[in-house]
Amino acid sequence: MKLAFFQGCNIPIRIEQYAVSTQAVLQRFGVELAVVPEFTCCGYPVRNVDEESYIMPSVRNLAIAEKMGLDIMVICNCCFASLQKARSVLAGDPQLAGKINQLLAKEDLHYTGTGEVKHFLTVLHEDIGVEEIKNQLVNQFSGLDLAVILGCHILRPREVTQFDDSFVPAITDDLVRLTGATCLDWQGRLECCGAALAGLNNEVADRLLNEKINGARAAGAAFMVPICSYCHLQFDTNQLQVRAGGPDYETLPVLLYPQLLGLCLGIDEKILGIEQNNTVNDRVLDQLRDLLGPPVEDKKKKRRSAKTGTTHE
Amino acid sequence: MKILLGIALLIFLAGILYRGRSWFSQGIQPTGQPQSPASRIPTALRGLGATLASTDLLVLGKTLITDVLLQKRLLAKSVRRWLAHSLIFVGFLLLLFMHGLGTGVSEFFFPSYYSTLQPFLTLRNVFGLLVLVGLAISLHRRLTDKPQRVKSLASDWLALTFVATIIISGFLLEGVKISSFDAYQAMVDDYGDVADEAEELALETYWAAEQGLVPVNAVKPYDSALVEAGREISSRSCTECHAPATGAFVSFSVAKVIGPLASALGDGGVVTVLFTLHLLSCLALLAWLPFSKMFHVISVPVSLLINGVLGFKKDPAEPANTLTRQMIGLSACTHCGACSELCSALMFYESFQNDFILPSEKVQLLKKVAAGQPVDRATLTHLQKGLYICTSCDRCSTVCPSGINLRELFVSARYYLLGRGIPETSLLSHFSFPLALARRFADEHLQALKKLHELFNQRFRKLADLSGLSLASTPASVGTDSYRSCYTCQRCTNICPVVRLYDDPVEHLDLLPHQIIYSLGIGNRELAMGARMIWSCSTCYLCQEHCPNQVELTDIFYRLKNAAIKTIDSGGTA
Repeated sequence: MKLAFFQGCNIPIRIEQYAVSTQAVLQRFGVELAVVPEFTCCGYPVRNVDEESYIMPSVRNLAIAEKMGLDIMVICNCCFASLQKARSVLAGDPQLAGKINQLLAKEDLHYTGTGEVKHFLTVLHEDIGVEEIKNQLVNQFSGLDLAVILGCHILRPREVTQFDDSFVPAITDDLVRLTGATCLDWQGRLECCGAALAGLNNEVADRLLNEKINGARAAGAAFMVPICSYCHLQFDTNQLQVRAGGPDYETLPVLLYPQLLGLCLGIDEKILGIEQNNTVNDRVLDQLRDLLGPPVEDKKKKRRSAKTGTTHE
Repeated sequence: MKILLGIALLIFLAGILYRGRSWFSQGIQPTGQPQSPASRIPTALRGLGATLASTDLLVLGKTLITDVLLQKRLLAKSVRRWLAHSLIFVGFLLLLFMHGLGTGVSEFFFPSYYSTLQPFLTLRNVFGLLVLVGLAISLHRRLTDKPQRVKSLASDWLALTFVATIIISGFLLEGVKISSFDAYQAMVDDYGDVADEAEELALETYWAAEQGLVPVNAVKPYDSALVEAGREISSRSCTECHAPATGAFVSFSVAKVIGPLASALGDGGVVTVLFTLHLLSCLALLAWLPFSKMFHVISVPVSLLINGVLGFKKDPAEPANTLTRQMIGLSACTHCGACSELCSALMFYESFQNDFILPSEKVQLLKKVAAGQPVDRATLTHLQKGLYICTSCDRCSTVCPSGINLRELFVSARYYLLGRGIPETSLLSHFSFPLALARRFADEHLQALKKLHELFNQRFRKLADLSGLSLASTPASVGTDSYRSCYTCQRCTNICPVVRLYDDPVEHLDLLPHQIIYSLGIGNRELAMGARMIWSCSTCYLCQEHCPNQVELTDIFYRLKNAAIKTIDSGGTA
């Protein structure tokens, strides 16, 4: 399986470890990721300014992937939503499609809408499958409580993103649970990290961020696991600035999902770039290592969940 | 000629001094006191000294080889560009040393050097040909690259023309000298060991038959006995200093083609004209170099070495050196367009039709801004917008073959221009997110946001300012009419995480989500556009997802933001 790897603008320069760890994990399952230098910004940052300028770059990116004959795989939620939005808008607006295609013709590109856009969690969950991932686990966590924040733009609006049940999402929980970690049910799991307002309305952005940090901590989270690159930057960079006020403040460390899964697959933590997370220090890393061990017997687990009649924690 | 050379050299040196001075006297500085060359030069020297005294010296050496000499960064960008540049670079440099700087330099390295002997005769042609092939590749790229977003400027063409003129005039000159009977006769008069007219004819016939001469007395078909006799004379008179002219393989072909024409025009004159053209174009390039993009032969190595040690990712430590590096960077831009080809904001350039969205074009204008040259307000406003429609992906700084720290340059330029008081509505986009992360010039950023806020307050009236609300005759245009299905259940407001942050949300947000939809319902888009709610919306889509009547609230808020920005940008009348 080969996919065009769409990294967006933030990941290559600010969260390189997200791309590298994702590649390392997917390589284990034979998924080949093509890096495409011609991809540009998805258009998301300009959406406040002009809707059409927001759609256009995604159409070009989709057309590039079409020309390569590849589906796109995305790790940033906002890029994912932009690409999906462009597909849904153009499907209903042939006039706009014609206009943009005229522009794309200058570069011998043409958008038809035949290519698919997949979030990397979908690739793991659907294309590879939970069972296949489980079969390859060499380690599992025990006693690790995680606060996953899914990020708004992967879930909503559901007609556009078509990712998961937007009210009761399950894909991410399934994937976290197979690592042995507990996916906490905490307030703010499906809410906003504040990134969309950072830099234009810092007051609201910071309050939303603090609300999430406090919510995750109150639920007993050892780590925040952001799915979206914007959420990651909020928790892994802005947290240090917004909450830097007191010397007593204890940073809530951040772990990315492919780093979590990568550890369970036996991939070197250096390759996974865990230390590149600004909020992870040696002490945190030691604690994480302590919770990692050989996988527990799968059968017992299944029997137990069958008895209680639920597959949720 | 010596006088002309002297003048050209003087202009060159004065130009180098002038450009060197600008490195330490100019720059784009958003805040703080301007610093004089008297303080910047010592600071730069201190930085240099610290580098040379540390292990960074090794980095410097490595950079010199990989980046400066082998042009690794250009190779990473494009093999074709690297090939073109290397051919011109190597060919021209070797010609300069072996041929341009006079025989003294060549004899120093090769005691047996003589320009008309092998291998030097052929080498000169090889070097010239390298440059010509490089030029042809460059020309082809400039003419055929699609799509042509980066336009070639007059200065780009001028640089190519100068180099091409030097090389082509050189080949023509050598060609005409090969074919010239005047030149041949002068040599025979000085060195020819010829006894009588018969021997003279034999020698001429041999040179016409085999050495490219356009003869005056010898006639075709050449008598083979005469040619052999001529060869004999040539070997005792000429061969010692003259390898066969065929060795100059390019010029020899040129001689075949244009020899008869030159002869008809009077080849003595043609030689003089070509010699003058060749020399003048060399001197003109020398004098023009410091004032043009060709200055890059000096500034790019410096820029690459600095980049090799400092990179662009760390925040600058020493403001004086930051400014100096910025100026070196600006002078190192060759307008090659590598940055713009990979710019993440490429498609925004297409939709906004603003040249300054492309990094390479920003740099050209910033050169003027840094030098303090006058730029009109409309152009500056355009430039400011171009500086903001940027995703801060730093690809430009990553790919720049000259190692320019474009990230730093653009951040400084943004806040410098904002300081001039032109409001920038693009600040209200997510382009501000990476700026907020970096937290540089945080106060200036907040000031600029405040200015926008005042602008909105002046332009849009609040609910409290109105004496009453009335139903408009036309429906509000927001890209969808789903707002008409609203039955004011207020689920949107109740689920909104932003409304939840406040005890008195209306005080902070003007209108709550359901009230915005209500004001659209009665046809009052203006009121909705002026509400702080839309600029506090976190775009989490919870309201839209939970609306029982499928009102596309978040999408509508985006349209309202678009319309409000258009209104402010057009001076408040849209």
